[in-house]
Amino acid sequence: MVDKGQVIRLCRSLLRAGRQLPDYNIREYAKRRTFDGFRMNKNLTDHSKVEKAYAEGKKQLEVVERVVKVYLAYPPKTKNIMELKLH
Amino acid sequence: MASPSTSSLSFKAPSIQSTRTSQVLRKPLSFQPISFGRFQSSKNLRLQISCAAKPETVQKVSDIVREQLALSADTALTAESKFSALGADSLDTVEIVMALEEKFNISVEEADAQNITTIQEAADLIEDLAQKKPAA
Repeated sequence: MVDKGQVIRLCRSLLRAGRQLPDYNIREYAKRRTFDGFRMNKNLTDHSKVEKAYAEGKKQLEVVERVVKVYLAYPPKTKNIMELKLH
Repeated sequence: MASPSTSSLSFKAPSIQSTRTSQVLRKPLSFQPISFGRFQSSKNLRLQISCAAKPETVQKVSDIVREQLALSADTALTAESKFSALGADSLDTVEIVMALEEKFNISVEEADAQNITTIQEAADLIEDLAQKKPAA
């Protein structure tokens, strides 16, 4: 039985893991995708569907953590222009 | 000798009466009577000031909340505004807390994040964490 607190915790861990990504584009995508994914399934009431969505979220968390390790091994050499403060 | 641990002392002197007494000491009459009655109230005042957040912090939090929830410019945001009253669900709250973490460069714990319901609480937590950080 997955409760609301667990779902929120999963969302936060996904966001935190995504924050470590060195590439601006992938980092922003991770943030966008987590919010879109959780909002899409926000109104699920069927227990089995909720469990399935939660399990999928956990799998994606593993993926993000793996990707973070790979990207940290070969970080991009230059900063993306969106990360530069040009005012 | 007067001990510093007592909050108010009263010395029996013929001409002076003190209403706040927690301890009555028999002292030789050559001692000057000292009343520590005001010490307690100033201690409470100090505690009150350290709990409130600075108005600039509250303003910055309000700006982030306004941006995240896409509120129009005329919706009034006070320090006591609840996120749920502004139309934010738990996911929006998570988004707001993440944005605050990035903006103020702090890290909010799970338990603390669950308890944030108003703008004032968020500002207080931010000030609290910002204070603790330089010490670490």
